[in-house]
Amino acid sequence: MATPAKAPARGTGPKGPGAARVASSLIAALALLALALLASVKYGSLPTSFGAVLDVLRGHGDPYLTTVVESRYPRTLLGLLAGASLAVAGCLMQGVTRNPLAEPGMLGITTGASASIVTASAYFGMSGQMATLLWALPGALLAGIVVYVVGTRGGGSGMVRLVLTGAVLSAVLSAFIQAVTLSNPKVFDSYRYWVVGSLGGRGFEVFWTVLPLTAVALAVALLLGGSLNTVALGDDSATALGAKPARIKAIGLLAATALGAAATAAVGPIAFVGLAVPHVVRALVGVDFRLQLGFCALLGPSLLLFADVIGRVVLRPQELMVGVVTAFVGAPALLIAVRRMKGTA
Amino acid sequence: MNTKAAAPAGQRLLRLAPKVAFPVRPRSLYAGLLLAVLLLLASVATLNLGRLGIALADLPGAVFGGEATGKNAFVLNRLRGPRLATAASVGAALGLSGALFQSVTRNPLGSPDVIGLGAGAGAGAAVTALLLPDVLPVSAGAVLGAALAMVLVYFATGTGFRNPGRLVVAGIGVAAIANALIEYVVYAVERDKASVLKSYVNGSLNASGWDDAATAAVALAICAPIVVALARNLAVVEMGDETAESLGASPGRTKTVAVLASIALSGAAVAAAGPIAFLALCSPQIAKRLTRASGPHLALSALAGALLLILADLASQHLPLFPDLPVGIYTMALGGAYLAYLLLHEWRRGAL
Repeated sequence: MATPAKAPARGTGPKGPGAARVASSLIAALALLALALLASVKYGSLPTSFGAVLDVLRGHGDPYLTTVVESRYPRTLLGLLAGASLAVAGCLMQGVTRNPLAEPGMLGITTGASASIVTASAYFGMSGQMATLLWALPGALLAGIVVYVVGTRGGGSGMVRLVLTGAVLSAVLSAFIQAVTLSNPKVFDSYRYWVVGSLGGRGFEVFWTVLPLTAVALAVALLLGGSLNTVALGDDSATALGAKPARIKAIGLLAATALGAAATAAVGPIAFVGLAVPHVVRALVGVDFRLQLGFCALLGPSLLLFADVIGRVVLRPQELMVGVVTAFVGAPALLIAVRRMKGTA
Repeated sequence: MNTKAAAPAGQRLLRLAPKVAFPVRPRSLYAGLLLAVLLLLASVATLNLGRLGIALADLPGAVFGGEATGKNAFVLNRLRGPRLATAASVGAALGLSGALFQSVTRNPLGSPDVIGLGAGAGAGAAVTALLLPDVLPVSAGAVLGAALAMVLVYFATGTGFRNPGRLVVAGIGVAAIANALIEYVVYAVERDKASVLKSYVNGSLNASGWDDAATAAVALAICAPIVVALARNLAVVEMGDETAESLGASPGRTKTVAVLASIALSGAAVAAAGPIAFLALCSPQIAKRLTRASGPHLALSALAGALLLILADLASQHLPLFPDLPVGIYTMALGGAYLAYLLLHEWRRGAL
């Protein structure tokens, strides 16, 4: 990785790093993900050794330890799914809006899902994981549409404007959420556990509930990479090449919203994974969206799982929810990015 | 108070003393009168409305003559009196704070709460409530948290408070950390405590006493003379640093003093009532729209802030939809609606 990306562009994609660098990055990303998965089943309130955990994974470990390790499977799988969803959603949104700050949290999608869930559990007697997911979707979708339409109205591409629209919508919806939860003790009680964003305390049921939607949306997203490369050339050039930018953007945002909503419904609002991972990935593999999306799906889970492991270790025997950890890791990254921003917006 | 027509077109000089004079436009004067009348009406409504209200006929005697007895005395001295006084002084402090900050940053979004002051205060309060329940009062924790958030944002932007885009994004980042902390604490403490904490974190007047009113009033009393002395220079600084320099207004010092006064005022407001969202942002804009003039509109912003908070508190006391909701939730909804208006109508002109 010592030489700057001067290799000739391969295939039809935009100029990017050479195949050797992509291959080595891929191996590194896969190794990192494997390590994250292993760490996620290893670390917890009961200290164990890697060897003992590997024994369990091979099916002949200490019975007590087997129970403990297996109890960590659901949260590991959830971390895998939610991390991939958030990172890919962020990548899609940043590509479609051409705004490096776009991600499900910033654009109000998370708050939309939350507002929807709170409304349903306060007024429509919602309960159960399937219902949570179903209710999260319309709110997330509506919020995403409103923010995109208002934030880009009149062709403005100001990145602050889009983010601010998201902040405005989030503020109004938060006021509503606070109002409902504070005047409704039962809802407040379940909401305050959900809103910190955690992989723990959720069983396989949650995983199986969000899996179908997430799988479809992830597949759509990964197939969209080539089209996004075309859109990135600008609307006029894309149209000249026979693409339909408006339709591609709409599909991209829809997939991103579905991913954001599913992740939020499953593990609560988790900030900054969707923002940070695409930036890291771009630095690693360049601007080709086919590579970006794939690497986001690999590195998103790694980040989320490592954050979750940190949360389990720092306050042992208690644990810090992963949403708190990502905020503490992600916000400074955002602040550093702000320092590097050029001009006013 | 004699007036003299020696100021620029459309302005008059309001003389308080030989050396103290303000240029006052008639329109600003009328706007001020309008706000004052509305303020009075809202205050009367606060004391009068509802089951425990003091009858209109008894009100003058109770407030000015000290003739309140029985139920009226209780309502005036314990329940609504302190609450009204707190709303008025906290609202005025926030309005003034916002006007100072927006004037210095030359940025309609440069309000202490947009850049994470409210969230920082909430996090400070939450952490003190969880970790140091008997060491530090919650309000002191809130002030510390607010100050820390401002420092973080100031250094994160790399350009101080000048650049609107960076300010907003840095504010979002700092607010994200603060909110994560708040949610965690609300998660970690028992439900009853969590509910009380959540109210405070949103800004509430439900438990306001005279000492809360005094906290904000003292800050106003200390900052008002400084602000009056600063007003002329501030108006010049709004024209740009170079113009200000050439007119001898020393922009650096003026800005520093104004920002410090602004932070002190918001800090006192937070200590008195918790972080109340969006008042500091909206009040100066309302003042600006009423007068349609340039310049900082300091007094009008304070009046508008007081009026808004009293109205919001009135809503939180009497709207049947959600009984006993913290007033901050109403201002949050109000401010969100206002920001949405800004987005839809103002930015078409390319302001951002």
